[in-house]
Amino acid sequence: MTDNKQQLYPPLYKRLFSVWYRHARVYRQHIFSNAFPPFFEPLIFLVGVGLGLGRYIEPIDGRPYVQFLAIGLLITSSMWTAFFECTFGTFIRMEFQKTYDGMLAAPITANNLIVGEMLWAGSKGFFFSFAVLFMLTLVSLVAPDTMPMLPMPNVLIAPLIGFANALMFGAMALLITSFVKTINHFNFFMTGVISPMFFFSGVVFPVRELPRLIQPVAEFVPLTHSVRIIRCICDNNLTCNLLWDVLYIIIFTTVIGTLATKRLKKRLIK
Amino acid sequence: MPNPVIQAHHINKRFGSLQAVDDLSFEVSPNTCFGFLGPNGAGKTSTMKMIYARSKRDDGGTIDIFGHDPNTEELAIKYFCGVVPQEDNLDEELNVIQNLRLFARFYDMDAKKADSRIDELLGFLELGEKRTALIRELSGGMKRRLVIARALLNEPKLLILDEPTTGLDPQVRHLIWDKLRQLKRAGTTMLLTTHYMEEAFQLCDTILIMHKGRNIMQGTPKELLAEHIEDYVLELTDPGKIDEVVQSALLADVRVDESGQIVRFYADDIDSLKAVADAIQDSQYYLRQSNLEDVFLKATGRTLNDRQ
Repeated sequence: MTDNKQQLYPPLYKRLFSVWYRHARVYRQHIFSNAFPPFFEPLIFLVGVGLGLGRYIEPIDGRPYVQFLAIGLLITSSMWTAFFECTFGTFIRMEFQKTYDGMLAAPITANNLIVGEMLWAGSKGFFFSFAVLFMLTLVSLVAPDTMPMLPMPNVLIAPLIGFANALMFGAMALLITSFVKTINHFNFFMTGVISPMFFFSGVVFPVRELPRLIQPVAEFVPLTHSVRIIRCICDNNLTCNLLWDVLYIIIFTTVIGTLATKRLKKRLIK
Repeated sequence: MPNPVIQAHHINKRFGSLQAVDDLSFEVSPNTCFGFLGPNGAGKTSTMKMIYARSKRDDGGTIDIFGHDPNTEELAIKYFCGVVPQEDNLDEELNVIQNLRLFARFYDMDAKKADSRIDELLGFLELGEKRTALIRELSGGMKRRLVIARALLNEPKLLILDEPTTGLDPQVRHLIWDKLRQLKRAGTTMLLTTHYMEEAFQLCDTILIMHKGRNIMQGTPKELLAEHIEDYVLELTDPGKIDEVVQSALLADVRVDESGQIVRFYADDIDSLKAVADAIQDSQYYLRQSNLEDVFLKATGRTLNDRQ
């Protein structure tokens, strides 16, 4: 590099951070309304399941049902937020608010922007898992009859798994967004992909209870793997073979994330 | 003539079957304002986007921006360019100063330096009293000035303005023109697209008229007027008596251009137009100096094309 061509623009990590920071800053602007759902929803769940439904259900794998479901919800909260952020959120920034037009005029590449988007989804996943964990633990301290204490300290890993899970769902959501022409199309994916995943990936009941024919399908979808990891860690189950689940998450995130980046870049840099 | 800081040679951009930019070449001298004038769909914005790496040009042509190629040195170019896009894209959730602080981060400016630069720019664009106003509380003209302030944060060598005053009232437009002239005097090179003839005339040192992606004429505003259009125009909005006038010998050195319900007579000698005006005295007419709009319409045609 010659003197007159020295690099003046910020290095990669700062560019990624500034994209992440932009989203965090705008999110923080309305922190009370934005943080209300992850802190309040666990309370609705506890009333509905802890005081109601849960009393009619047998313990699963030695856990009261409310606790079994709670462990799954630590992870699904990160799925929902990452999926919303990178479908509706990304689409609105791209097509309606023209946020990306502004950012791409600054020294930020389309790739930086898209990877920054995923990292932000991951961070929101961390935050949402943490919020659910925090609220459930709080209630356990006050009313252990309604909500038995989650397995400490193992369950403290939930926000980290929430991060990885949200990164994975962020990548998937961005890939979907790259195909979508109107914002209404997201409804297909919400009802057709995310809702079934919530019910059939070991969150509400164990995957082994599914009909034999459908079990491989559960193995194929992403949420099953994040949920299995948190359950094994919470159960202190050393016999679990988590290698497959960890590999699945890494490969899925990398492959889908790369594909999403390539496709969205084409949409941004015409 | 100093060495040009922007050189584009034979650039092309095709979207499917549409040739948006067609073998376009131009050069821009430092500290000047270079304007792209053309109807909607002429390829002005596509050209701008290829310059600041928001769009990749097709194979074949070359672009050199202060020694950098946008296809391979995107970040270097974006670092010293300021862009004012056609549509405002401020963060509606944040206020004026928060918007600017956030954008300063993209340039890795330290907070203190950013704040002093922001104060300076808000003063310059007369937005000082709006520091903490929310974006939705700003008028269209204020939003536009804020977008310009944002583009100036990193003291750009090159300012890219895509229709900077479209939709603004005359006061704001004149204020913005005044600020842009100050920036040019201070050494900023500018690229501007517009379809306001007056804007091009007020700001540009060189104007390139584009039509269907091509360069159809180029020069200083005065050259374009002198070389491509007669000095005076007589516009007649009531075409009833045209036949009498057109047949008369009065039109020896007058060019006649009929379109729709308006007939225009062009001549270098105002007296020959006055004679025409006298002949149709009881009709509505308007005698004036010709302007860039006449050049523009002569060059790009009076009827709408399928891209407009």
